[in-house]
Amino acid sequence: MSATLLLARRNLGRNRCRLVASVGGVALALTLTLALDAIYAGVANQLTTYIDRAGADVWVAQAGVRNLHMVASWLADSVTDEVRAVPGVAGVTSILYSTDTIAARDERAVAYVIGLPADPSIGGPWNVVEGSDRVARGEITIDRGFARKAGVSIGDSVTVLGGEARIVGLSEGTANLLNSVAFVSFDDFRATRGGAPVVSFVLVRVVPDASPEAVAAAIERQVPSVTAQSRADFSAQERRFVMDMSADVISIMNVIGFVVGLAVVALTVYVATLARRREYGVLKALGARNTALYRVVSAQAALSVALGFLVALAVTGVIVLVVPRTGLGLELSISAASLAKVGLFAIVIAALAAILPVRQVSSLDPAVVFRRGTAI
Amino acid sequence: MTVFTLDVRGVTKRFGDDAAGVEAVRGVSLAVKPGEIVLIMGPSGSGKTTLLSMMGALLKPTEGSIHLDGIEISALSERRLPDIRLRQFGFIFQDFNLLSALTVLENVSIVAELGGLARRPARVKATALLSDLGLGERLDFLPEKLSGGEKQRVAIARALVNDPALILADEPTANLDSKIGHEVMNLLRRIAKDQGRSVVIVSHDQRIRDVADRVLWLADGRFTDVVTMATDPICSMSVERERAVSAERDGETFFFCSRGCREEFLGGLVPWARSGHEFAGWPRIAAALFARRHAASGGRGRGHEPTRRPSG
Repeated sequence: MSATLLLARRNLGRNRCRLVASVGGVALALTLTLALDAIYAGVANQLTTYIDRAGADVWVAQAGVRNLHMVASWLADSVTDEVRAVPGVAGVTSILYSTDTIAARDERAVAYVIGLPADPSIGGPWNVVEGSDRVARGEITIDRGFARKAGVSIGDSVTVLGGEARIVGLSEGTANLLNSVAFVSFDDFRATRGGAPVVSFVLVRVVPDASPEAVAAAIERQVPSVTAQSRADFSAQERRFVMDMSADVISIMNVIGFVVGLAVVALTVYVATLARRREYGVLKALGARNTALYRVVSAQAALSVALGFLVALAVTGVIVLVVPRTGLGLELSISAASLAKVGLFAIVIAALAAILPVRQVSSLDPAVVFRRGTAI
Repeated sequence: MTVFTLDVRGVTKRFGDDAAGVEAVRGVSLAVKPGEIVLIMGPSGSGKTTLLSMMGALLKPTEGSIHLDGIEISALSERRLPDIRLRQFGFIFQDFNLLSALTVLENVSIVAELGGLARRPARVKATALLSDLGLGERLDFLPEKLSGGEKQRVAIARALVNDPALILADEPTANLDSKIGHEVMNLLRRIAKDQGRSVVIVSHDQRIRDVADRVLWLADGRFTDVVTMATDPICSMSVERERAVSAERDGETFFFCSRGCREEFLGGLVPWARSGHEFAGWPRIAAALFARRHAASGGRGRGHEPTRRPSG
């Protein structure tokens, strides 16, 4: 360890309160940013759960529709057969889709409502923990979390799409912070739309070894007025859409986290430098160059931020583990991109925080050693 | 030609350019030989610290020049001065100025590292120095756990670690009690005489006169009085040559604190005075007298060059 790093480490370690304030401040600021990213990444992952778990290799929608959230997609009934006829398609299931409110007793919640055919090969609930995974007319499968909250169970009724439906199944993994997924019969759903011969999406399974992207492209070539995307592309579009919607909030919170972190580190490093101003003067008088002192100050800032970053990682890790077990329906996820971003934040914070004290050190008169002070 | 470690030539320091400007030091000249201890005394505000700062290359003179081992350090750029300060000067301060976050060993080794030594040899050198100064058991202590004398010894070790030619000490005994102050003074004396380093001390402490070779009185930025110190060969007291009674023997001049000592000197043979404090051949009575008086003086004044000089 170099002399300057040793001095920086000791300067930090000698004043525990200042160290805790500095590291704690950075950790708090970076945790804020990391946790927010983790929440949004988790929510985005959950939002695409239906797309990811429905079993479709290719999603066919009305032309121009590239995601599920907050959209309406209407395709003529005939599109189903046209898609089925495209080479590479192994099977199709048409669904109806809408965002609606499910109400039971005093509880109301937003849900993606999926209208399923009587015997769907894909598109239905993937983890029914109680009851049936098939829905007939007048029936519904809902998320167990909502059922618990509303105090309803199998056999009870909920209000959906302007009518009543009897609960026949409870599923898990079908809820997120914003909404859950509910499954009703295709015929009931169509009836609420006046019986129009339309579907929302055609879910496609491709033949073994076929490329979903190639099949999607073939569908778009052969079937007019549709947009076909592989599951991966559709899911990515959905995630991007949700993230774009919340980008401003994330940016604001990132800026707040950055400013808080910067202010805390800059202040503590500045105060620490101020407190040891005389000692830096002594080092200067003894022959230390300004660059050596800059290294001490910069190393102090870097150490504070590095420790803060590690603490922030640990705290966020704990949050990621604990929050999903609280029943909030929240799933958090730390991404590599988020880590890189926060790491970059930390480096910039350390660099900026060192500027002010460095200026102070460079202007320090070494003759300060001859002024009388407290004997050390 | 006499070689000087430090040569201050007609140095003036003026603060402020306008009519309200102050001349803290006015045309001061001073040459310090290797192994010499120079004590600068004077009232507060006389310019002592300003002069010391200029000698330590911490402050540039307005006029005049300062030479260290033949190099005009007052003409060097700010960029070159840190190296000079690091390797040519050892600073000792009244307030010790140790780095509070570092241990005793680290306080010394960090200066050696800044001077270019690698970590391990720096620690070895610092350990050896501190052990020589009786701090071998305190290496891992923080400064706050040390007594004033111990702190000053750490500061002295720090000042010596890069083998400087010149030690500059600012009131080195001011925060120390009498006994510890004596220890520090004798330590500085040893450093000068055994290691051949020049020592310039700025102090109000009259006791330091005992170890100084020369005492300069600074008032209003000028040297107004120069006193050369000598040791009485009989009682070992420090005396000012200019004010002491003297006697000549074998072409050399000796200085005494009183006529009594002079009479004793002239009445008995004191061959040790001419042979570097050797006691061989010294008459028993004179030896007993010296031992008694030396003990009574608390050991002060040892180590001045025998107070002889070629007469004329």
